[in-house]
Amino acid sequence: MPQRALISAGLLFALPALAGLLIFVAVPFLLSIGLSFTNLRLGSPLAPEFVGLTQFVRLFADDAFTRALLNNLLFTIVVVPVQTLLALGLALLLNQPLRGLALFRTLFFMPVVFPLALVSVVWILIYAPGPDGMLNSFLHLITLGHWVPRDFLHDPWLALPAIMLTSIWQGAGFQMVILLAGLQSIPEELYEAARIDGAGRWQRFWFITLPQLRNTLIFVMLVTTILTFRLFEQVQIMTRGGPRHATTTIMYEAVQAAFSRQQVAKGAAITVIFFLIVLLVTLLQRRLARQERL
Amino acid sequence: MRILLISLAFVFLAACDRSEQPKPEAGTVQLSVWAHAGQASERRTIERQVQAFNQQQDAIQISMTFIPERSYNAQVQAAAIAGALPDLLEFDVPYLYNYAWQGHLLPLETLLPHSLQQDLLPSIIKQGTYQGHLYGVGTFDSGLALYARRSLLQKVNARIPLHPKQAWSVQEFEQLLDRLAVEDDDGAVLDLKLNYPDEWFSYAFSPVLQSAGGDLIDRSDYQTASGVLNGAASVTAMQHVQGWLTTGRVDPNVDDAAFVTGRVALSWAGHWEYRRYHEAFGDDLILVPLPDFGRGSRTGQGSWVWGISRHSAVPDKAAEVIAYLLRPAQILAMTEANGAVPATHTAIAQSPLYQPGGPLHLFVVQLAEGYAVPRPRTPAYPVISASFRQAFADIRDGLPVQQALDRAAAAIDEDIRDNRGYPSIAAP
Repeated sequence: MPQRALISAGLLFALPALAGLLIFVAVPFLLSIGLSFTNLRLGSPLAPEFVGLTQFVRLFADDAFTRALLNNLLFTIVVVPVQTLLALGLALLLNQPLRGLALFRTLFFMPVVFPLALVSVVWILIYAPGPDGMLNSFLHLITLGHWVPRDFLHDPWLALPAIMLTSIWQGAGFQMVILLAGLQSIPEELYEAARIDGAGRWQRFWFITLPQLRNTLIFVMLVTTILTFRLFEQVQIMTRGGPRHATTTIMYEAVQAAFSRQQVAKGAAITVIFFLIVLLVTLLQRRLARQERL
Repeated sequence: MRILLISLAFVFLAACDRSEQPKPEAGTVQLSVWAHAGQASERRTIERQVQAFNQQQDAIQISMTFIPERSYNAQVQAAAIAGALPDLLEFDVPYLYNYAWQGHLLPLETLLPHSLQQDLLPSIIKQGTYQGHLYGVGTFDSGLALYARRSLLQKVNARIPLHPKQAWSVQEFEQLLDRLAVEDDDGAVLDLKLNYPDEWFSYAFSPVLQSAGGDLIDRSDYQTASGVLNGAASVTAMQHVQGWLTTGRVDPNVDDAAFVTGRVALSWAGHWEYRRYHEAFGDDLILVPLPDFGRGSRTGQGSWVWGISRHSAVPDKAAEVIAYLLRPAQILAMTEANGAVPATHTAIAQSPLYQPGGPLHLFVVQLAEGYAVPRPRTPAYPVISASFRQAFADIRDGLPVQQALDRAAAAIDEDIRDNRGYPSIAAP
């Protein structure tokens, strides 16, 4: 087939996906940019006015929003490596011949299947304050009575870590499955050859498993990073951004502005900033950890 | 391929099915109605009411759509933009001022029989009125007070107020909390329903401000919250509430069972808790007015109301449905299902719970004698509510009250300025 025909055929096949991207991503994003320069309010009978950069100036003067930026950053910095390492550990454990393997795999994967709203409600009960709360009484037990009961979700220092823990518990299973698939695609011959060369367990992991998993790991970290930036449900249900904005996030602030206070323009401005940040992070990550083409 | 064919066949069949629905008879008006899918008992009642209405006459046939409560406002806004609002719709009353301002609603005062309007509780008229016109009418109103157990109060020799004018002063209330705490395992003796979702905080705690002489906003022209929401009266009142929260007098109530399991002696809650609480404690359960922060006890009010779309072709028929739902028997059927305060004097007189001498008569007294304050009647309400809710959360977490309320007042004022003071532009 000539080159031209090949290209046009390719474009034809890509058309549905491109149309979807255009309609559901590009157009709304361009509209958001436009709206963020106005004072539009949801359902207002007043005509929107052009207000220039006012919405952005206000956002950066708003300590809830700057705190949201910081929280998102902290959340990503902690959750992405911890969750990935945990998932890798679980995947390595579950990649061994073991009795009842299917059961363990199902158990570890189960939190991923639960809706986040459900998980959040269950964890609210786990974090219940007072000595009768599940986590409090557990910590009391293992510290032999030295633990003083805390109100995790209303403690300015513990609330964000509490949400991190919930998220890691919920999300690790998903990455585990992807990493497990990656592990199983590593040819057994490589390990066999290494063993013949006298490589130990650690060396086999370091020189075979990790390099072979490189692409999978990069993919997993990229996806997790984007997912962590979207942090919303846990915050909405467990803390509503509190205490004193300690757990608020960019998404939470955007939803609050647009739907709770009906300030669509402010919500649009937040999503524009959000999009730019995610774009930047993705570009940065791709530059730092380039996937190898096989 | 076979799957595709089968699914196409299904689509085809489904399409046929739709077109074979019985056509309305000539002379019959089809009336579209939206209601919120609340508690199951409430939904079943309204379904029965609609069915009975459709059967007892031929002129109007209601087609009912239930919409989940959480996304109700979003649905209304979307339908309004698409020009697809139903003839008659139910909505939560704080949104009334917004919808009326946006020009979606028709004034009801000329559509409903005068005698019926006379029979309504004054609180229903007050909350349904925006800029001099009545835009929404509820078949019930809500009640807010303190639930208590008589035996526990007697144990600490507490005076039991029966009427809002005898309400405990805030000092008396705080001494009472301390005395109750002595008898309590963990010292948390008060339930403020901290587990409830968003709107609760404005509903339940703006009466605290009003009882002290403050408010959410200056109600003379609804143009500014500064000086009122963050004025001395409001700040002092919220400092009391912060005191209860930070000294451990309040149960976090994550399981919503603080009162029924006996963990607390007092529960700051609405009419909807009566049945559950009564089941737990029987006749030991009593209702007392909220404490008086200086200017007399105040309480919340307002619930779901009915309004008619401005674009309805048959507003008189929609009004007939409202009048039907406001018949004493229909009001009582609904309040039997949800426990709320009946909206008319006639229905109240027939309700064993709410008539004089009934266990919940206090709610009627509060609504009829002016102790209940409607939420601010301005389209800015969504922002007011969100800002106060944020302030309440910050106050709970220990931020100085003045700082929290300053921030809320500034956010409200900014929004009002952004909307040019919410000028009325929709002609009534």
